[in-house]
Amino acid sequence: MNAPTKTTGPTAPTSDTPVVSPGARRLGLSRGLALRGVVIAAVVLAAGMAVPYIVLDRFYISMLFDGLVLALLALSVGFLARHLGLISLGHTAFYGGAAYLVGISVTQWGWSPLMAALTGLVGGTVLALVMALLVVRSSGMGFLMLTLALGQALYQLSIQRVAIPYTGAFDGLQISFDADATFLGLSVAQMMNGALFWPVVWTALVLSALGLWLVGRSRFGTVLEGIRENEERMRFSGFNTYWPRVLAFTISGAVASVGGVLFALNAAYVSPDVLSFLKAGDALIAAIVGGLGVLLGPILGALLYIVAQSQFNQSGNLYLYTGLALILVLMFLPGGILGSISSIRKRLARRSAKENSP
Amino acid sequence: MTLFQGTGVTVRYGAVKALTDVDITLEPGVVHGVIGPNGAGKSTFIDALSGRTRMTSGTVLLEGEDITNRPVGWRRHHGVSRSFQRTSVFNSMTVRTQLEMVAWRNDEPDLDGLMATLGLEPVLDQVCNEIAYGTQRSVDLAMALIGSPRVVLLDEPCAGLVADESVRMLQHVRDLCKDRGVAALLVEHDVDGVFRTCDRITVLNLGTVLASGEPAEIRANPDVVRAYLGSAA
Amino acid sequence: MNFAQVLNGIALGSLLMILSSGLAMIYGLRGVTNFAHGALYMAGAYVAYSVSTHINFWAALIAAPVVLAVLGAVLELVFFRRMQHRNHIEVGLVTFGAAMVIERVIVLIWGERTLSVDAPSGLGGTTSILGTDYPTYRLLIIGIALALAIGLVQWIRRSDVGLHIRAASHDVETSGILGINVDRVSLIVVCLGAALAGLSGALAAPYVSVYPAMGISILITVLIVVVIGGAGSIGGAMVAGMALGIIQTLGSVWIPSLSVLVPYVALVVVLLWRPTGLAGKRV
Repeated sequence: MNAPTKTTGPTAPTSDTPVVSPGARRLGLSRGLALRGVVIAAVVLAAGMAVPYIVLDRFYISMLFDGLVLALLALSVGFLARHLGLISLGHTAFYGGAAYLVGISVTQWGWSPLMAALTGLVGGTVLALVMALLVVRSSGMGFLMLTLALGQALYQLSIQRVAIPYTGAFDGLQISFDADATFLGLSVAQMMNGALFWPVVWTALVLSALGLWLVGRSRFGTVLEGIRENEERMRFSGFNTYWPRVLAFTISGAVASVGGVLFALNAAYVSPDVLSFLKAGDALIAAIVGGLGVLLGPILGALLYIVAQSQFNQSGNLYLYTGLALILVLMFLPGGILGSISSIRKRLARRSAKENSP
Repeated sequence: MTLFQGTGVTVRYGAVKALTDVDITLEPGVVHGVIGPNGAGKSTFIDALSGRTRMTSGTVLLEGEDITNRPVGWRRHHGVSRSFQRTSVFNSMTVRTQLEMVAWRNDEPDLDGLMATLGLEPVLDQVCNEIAYGTQRSVDLAMALIGSPRVVLLDEPCAGLVADESVRMLQHVRDLCKDRGVAALLVEHDVDGVFRTCDRITVLNLGTVLASGEPAEIRANPDVVRAYLGSAA
Repeated sequence: MNFAQVLNGIALGSLLMILSSGLAMIYGLRGVTNFAHGALYMAGAYVAYSVSTHINFWAALIAAPVVLAVLGAVLELVFFRRMQHRNHIEVGLVTFGAAMVIERVIVLIWGERTLSVDAPSGLGGTTSILGTDYPTYRLLIIGIALALAIGLVQWIRRSDVGLHIRAASHDVETSGILGINVDRVSLIVVCLGAALAGLSGALAAPYVSVYPAMGISILITVLIVVVIGGAGSIGGAMVAGMALGIIQTLGSVWIPSLSVLVPYVALVVVLLWRPTGLAGKRV
C-alpha cells in the first residue's frame, strides 16, 4: 500500500531520542495532501469492512479484533515516540482508566453504553491532560520513569481494598448492560461478538490513524518536530514549547482511551490487567517491533503480537519470544520492521540515483 | 529614549565574575561590535542580554521598558532576536521547512527575499545536516532575522567559517542591518572584520569594558592596543 | 507501632539497599537503566533455593552472587559493551527484553510453584532484641546488609579500582584518555552489580519465598529507589532503599490502602522537583 505516511530513516544517534524524524517535507498540510490521505483512508476503511466476511472462523476474527484494540494503544504510544521523541509506559492509565470508567458508569450509575463510552473517552482524555501537565517537561529516562510511576500508581489504586466497590480489585469488574441496551444500533450480544463489533473498532482505528497522520503532517506537527529537535531554538524563535507538547500528549491519550472504551464494551469485563505494567510493555514492544518511526508500524506490531500471543500463550512462552524479538529488533533492526523496510528502500533509491548520475 | 539598552550588566557564577557592570546602547541601523580576548565574557554578554543566562544584577531596556525578567519567547515577539555561536538549527528539517515555520510564527513579509539575500536558494529543499557548515550558519542567521526584529544579537556569526565566507557573512549582516534599520550587536573574534563592518565598537576584557567608541578611536586607544590588538592594529 | 514492625521495615530496607546499590552502580557507569535487575534478583533467589536444598544455605549465599556475576558478565559483553554508543533508552529496553527472557527461562527450569527456602539451622528461631522476640534470620539480613554497605562505600572511596569506578562514572571519555581501561572497569562494575542483586535475592529467599512473579514485583520498587537516590549515586540509592523499606512497611501497617502509593508519589515528587534525584551527580 502506497500509504500517505511519511516513512523514516535509520535511528539517528542523537542525545536523547531513539526515534526517527519524519524528514524532508513542506510546511503544513496542503489541500491536495490532506485529500489524498482521506481518500486512501476511505479505501482502506471500506476494504477492511470485508474482513469479517472473509475470516469466518470465530477464533481468528476474535484474535484480529484483539489485535485492533491493542493497535489503538500501540498507535498512541507510537505517536508520542514519533513526534515528541518520548517513550511512555503510562498510556495504560488512559486505556485502562477509560475501560474502568465504562464499567463504573454502567454498574454504578446505570448509564447506557453510549453514555458510558463517552464518559470513558472524556475521562481518559482528561486523565491524559493531567498527566501531560506533569510529565511533558521531562525527557528521556526521567519521562519514562514518571509515566511508569503514574501508570502503576493508578494500577495499585485499582487493586486496593478500598476500590473494591468500584473496580472489584483483583476480581475485576463485570459489566452487565441492560438487556435492551444498544450502542450505535448494536445490541449487547452484538457488541460482545468480535465479528459484529468489528466495523466499529475498525472505523475507530482507521479514523484514529488518519487523525494522527493529519496532526503529524500539519504545521503543528512541524512545531512538535522542532521542539523535539532543538527546543532552545524554538523558544528563541518565539514558540511556546510546553503547551504544544501537552496537547500532543493529550491527543495520544485520547486515542488510547478509545481503545480502552472499545475493549470494555466488547469484553464486558475489566480486570486490573488493563492497567498493568505488562500491558504497557506489550504495547510498547508491539510499537517498537512494528516500527516506532512509522505511523503504521505500531499497528503491524500489534497484529504480530496478537498472532504470537495465540501461538505461544498455551506453552506460556509468549514472553520468552517477545523478549527475544524485542532484543533482536533493538540490536539489529532499529526502526522496527517498517522502519527497516523504508531505510532499505531509501538506500536502494540513493544507490540507483548515484549510478544514474554522471 | 534609545531602542535597546543594557545597563550595569553583571553576571557572577559563585566566585567567578564573568561580567561586571557592562553598559551598552543599540540604535536602529547601527552595527555595534563587541570584541575582546578569550574569556572576556563576550558570549556571556549576549547570553545575558538575550535572556538565556540570568543576570546577577543590571537591567535591559527595550524602548524604555524594563525587559530584564521577560522570557525568551516574549522578547522574540517584541523584536529582540539572536543567533548562536554553535550553530543552532533543525538538522533533520529542510531549510525551507524550518524557515517557513519560523516565518509563520513571526510574520515575515518577504521570506523569499531574505533567503535570496543570504544565498540559500540552492539549498532550500535540502535537509539541514546535509548542507555545508557555512550555509548552516547562514540558516542560523536567517532564523534570527525573520520577522523584522528591531534588535538582533549575533554571537560570532563567523565562527567556523573560512576567510571568504566570513567576509560574505559580515557583508550580509551589514547590508541587512542598514536595509532593514535593525540595531545589531555583533560579537566576533575576527577583529579586522569587526573594524570593517561596525559603526561602533566595545572592547571587553576580563568581564569589564576596556573601551567603547568609534573604530578609529578604539584602534588608537593605547589600553586596547596593549591588552588585545598588539601592534598589528 | 511495635518494634518488630520497625525491624521488618529495616529488613526490607536492607534487601532494597543491597539490590539498589547494584543497580545504581551499573547506571552510574554504563548509563544503563537495567530493567533486568529484578530478574537478576529472582535468579539469585532460585539459585539459592537449589544450592541450599542440595548443599546448605551458606553455600547458597556464595553461589548466588558468583552465578549472577557470570550472568552480569554476559550482559556486559553481549549487550552493554556493544551498545555503549547507542541511545540509553534503547539499551534499557534491551534489558527489558532480557528480563522477560531470563524470567521465563527460570520458570521453565524450576516450575511455576512457589518454593520455600529454610533459614539455616541455628538461625531459625527468634532472638530477643530490646524486649521483642524477632526472627533471628532477619537480623542476619540486616547485619549482612549493613556490613556490605559500609564495606562497599569504603572500597569505592579508598581503593584504586574504586577510584577508577568513580572517575569513569563521572566522565567516561576523560577517564579513557587518562588511561583508565573503561571496558575492564565496566565489566567489574556490572558483574558486581549483578552479584549484589543475586545476593539480595538469596538473602530474600527464606524471608519472602521464591516465586515466579518476584522479579517484576521488586523491579519497579528498586527502579524508583535508584532514581530517587540520585542518578548513579550508590550512597544515595542505599539511603533511599532503606528509607523506602521502612516507610513502606510501617505505612502498610498504619494506612494500608495508601501506603502502596508511597514509592510512586515519592518518585513523582522527586523527579519533578529535582530531576537528577536527591543525591544529584555524586557517586
